[in-house]
Amino acid sequence: MDLPLIIATSALLTLMILITPTMLPLLIKNHQNSPYTITQSVKTSFMISLVPATMFMYSGLESITFHWQWKFITNFKIPLTLKMDQYSLMFFPIALFVTWSIMQFASWYMASEPQITKFFFYLLIFLIAMLTLIVSNNMFLLFIGWEGVGIMSFLLIGWWHGRAEANTAALQAILYNRIGDIGFILCMAWLAISMNTWEIQLHSSQNQIPLLPLLGLILAATGKSAQFGLHPWLPAAMEGPTPVSALLHSSTMVVAGIFLLIRTHPMIHNNQTALTTCLCLGALSTLFAATCALTQNDIKKIIAFSTSSQLGLMMVTIGLNLPQLAFLHISTHAFFKAMLFLCSGSIIHNLNGEQDIRKMGNLQKALPMTSSCLTIGNLALMGTPFLAGFYSKDLIIESMNTSYLNTWALLLTLLATSFTATYSMRMTLLVQTGFARMTPVSPINENNPAIINPITRLALGSIMAGLLITSYILPAKTPPMTMPLPAKIAATVVTTLGIILALELSKMTNTLTIPKQNPLLNFSLTLGYFNPLIHRLSSMNLLNNGQKIASHLIDLYWYKKMGPEGLAALQLKAAKTSTTLHTGWMKTYLASFALTIMIILISSNH
Amino acid sequence: MTFLHLSFYSTFTLSSLGLAFHRTHLISALLCLESMMLSMYIALSMWPIQTQTTSQTLMPILMLAFSACEAGTGLAILVASTRTHGSDHVHNLNLLQC
Repeated sequence: MDLPLIIATSALLTLMILITPTMLPLLIKNHQNSPYTITQSVKTSFMISLVPATMFMYSGLESITFHWQWKFITNFKIPLTLKMDQYSLMFFPIALFVTWSIMQFASWYMASEPQITKFFFYLLIFLIAMLTLIVSNNMFLLFIGWEGVGIMSFLLIGWWHGRAEANTAALQAILYNRIGDIGFILCMAWLAISMNTWEIQLHSSQNQIPLLPLLGLILAATGKSAQFGLHPWLPAAMEGPTPVSALLHSSTMVVAGIFLLIRTHPMIHNNQTALTTCLCLGALSTLFAATCALTQNDIKKIIAFSTSSQLGLMMVTIGLNLPQLAFLHISTHAFFKAMLFLCSGSIIHNLNGEQDIRKMGNLQKALPMTSSCLTIGNLALMGTPFLAGFYSKDLIIESMNTSYLNTWALLLTLLATSFTATYSMRMTLLVQTGFARMTPVSPINENNPAIINPITRLALGSIMAGLLITSYILPAKTPPMTMPLPAKIAATVVTTLGIILALELSKMTNTLTIPKQNPLLNFSLTLGYFNPLIHRLSSMNLLNNGQKIASHLIDLYWYKKMGPEGLAALQLKAAKTSTTLHTGWMKTYLASFALTIMIILISSNH
Repeated sequence: MTFLHLSFYSTFTLSSLGLAFHRTHLISALLCLESMMLSMYIALSMWPIQTQTTSQTLMPILMLAFSACEAGTGLAILVASTRTHGSDHVHNLNLLQC
C-alpha cells in the first residue's frame, strides 16, 4: 500500500470536494447552490479527511507535495507546496467536523434569512482559506490563507450590515488584524533577505535567528489571536451571527496566530527572549480576558472572553517551548467552544433574541438537551478530569509548575484558571437554574434535529476527543512524569476554589441585597479602560498631526509665514523700531552727525 | 601721535560735539561749524609741509572756498528762520516732528 500517495491524494481530495460548490456554478449553467448541498459537501469532505488522518496515526508518515512554482525572479522562486504533517492532518478532520455541525445548526438558525445561500457560501470560502493556511508549507501561501480568513471575518461579522455596531466591529477586526500583518510581513521580508526562501521546513533550526523577525511573528499572532494589546476586536466580533462566532471566533480563525507560531517553532525555540515574551504576553492575556468575563452579562460576550483567555493559555504553552501541547489544546478547545456557541445560539433563538443572562433562568427544564450540552461544555472548559479539556489544560498547568519559568506568569495563569471556573459556573447557574426570569411567552422548542444533532455530536467530541488524540499521537517531548502532590493537583484545586467562589457569590445575589454599585467592578466592566483610551487617543493624535502636515504646513507656514507675509512682518517690525529715531527733532538729527563722526574718528585710528 | 595731530583731532572732536549738543541758539551751532572748518584748514596746511609735497598746498585754499559758501548758506538759513519765527531758537526747525 503506497502510503504517501494515499495520504496526499486523500488530502487533496478533501480540498477539492470543498472547492466544488464554488466551481459548479461556473461550469454548469443554471446550477444553484443551496445550504443543503454546501453542508453535504463539508460532510463528505470530513469523511474523506478521516482517511489521511488514520493513515498518519497508523504510520506516522508525513509528506510534502509540490505542485507548481511561481518563478518570481531569477533566484527567488515561490513554490506551491502543501505539507501534510501531524498538525495539518489532525486539524483537517477536527475543523471539518466542527464546520459540518455548525452548518447543520445554521440551516435552522439562519432559516429566516433571505440570503442564506450566500451566508453558507461565505462560510465555505472561509473554511477553504483556513485549510489553505493550515496545509501550506511556505509563508506566502500561509499569508494568502491568513488574509483570506481576515476578509471573510470582515464580511461575516458585518453580515447584518444595516446595524452600525456590526459595521464598527467588522472594521475593528480588520484594523487590529492589519497591525498584526505588519509583523507578518516584517518576518517575511527578513526571511526573503537572509534565507532566500519562504519555505517553512527550510528554516534552519540550528542558526540563531535574530530577535526582530521573531517579534514580527509574535506581533502577527497578537493581532490574529487577540492577545492583550490587540484584543478588543474579539468581543466586538460577537455582533455577527452565532454560527459565525462559533466557527471563526472560537475554533478556527483565532487559532491561526497560534498555529503560525507552532509552524515556525523551529525558528523560535532557541531564542529565550522570544519565548519569554510569548509566555508573559499569554499570561497577561489570559488573566485580563478572564477578569473581563467575570462581570459580563451577555452570554456571547462571556464565551468570547473565554475564547480570548484560552488563546492566552495557548500562547503560554508556546512560551513553554511545547508546540505540540498548544496544538492539542487548539484541537480540544475547538470542540467545546463551538458547542458552547451553538448552545448559546439555541438559547438566544428560543428566547426570541434575548442575550442577557440576567433575563434567563430555569432553562434546565425548558431546554434539557441544550442545557446538558452547555454543562458538558463548561465542565470541559474548566478542565474537569477526563473530559476533553483536561488532557490539554491539565498538562499545560503541570508543565508550567514543573519548569523553570517566570513566577508572575505562573501565578497569573493559575488565577485565570480559577476565574475560568468562576465565570463558567456563573453562566451555568444564571442560565439554567433558579427561577425563570424571561418573558412568559417564549417560543421555546428545541425538538428539531437541526439543533439536537450538531450539539450532541460536538458533546460527544468534547468528551472523547482528548482521550482519542492523546492515545494516538505520540508526544514529541517527554511530559513531566513525577512531581510533588501540590503541583499535580494545582489545576484541580484552583478550579474547585473558583467553583466554590461562584456558588457563594450567586447565592449572595439572590438572597442578600447589594445596597449600592460596587466601584471595584469598574475595571472588569469597562474591559480595563482599554477601548476608550486607545481608540480615541491614538486616532486623535494621528489625525491632528495629519492635518498639521497636510494643510497647515504647506499653506500656512511655507506660503504665508515664511514667504511674503513673513517678510512683511519683519519689515514692519524694523520700521516700527526705527520710527522712534525718525521723530523730526533737530537734536536727534544732529546727534546722528556726532555719532557718525565719532565712529569715523575711532575707526580711522587703526 | 604727535602733539600737533592731537590738537587737530581734539579741536575737531570738540567742535563736532558742540555742533551736536548745543542747547538753544542756532548761531552757536554755526560757530562750532566754523571752528571745525578752522581746525581742518590748519591741519590741511600743516600736512604738505610735513610730507614735503608742495603740490598739495592747493588743498587748504579749496577748502576755504567751500567753507565760505557753507558759512554763507548757514547764515542765510539763520536769517530766514529769524525773519519767520522772530528768534533763532533751534526748536523752530522741528518742522517734521511727529
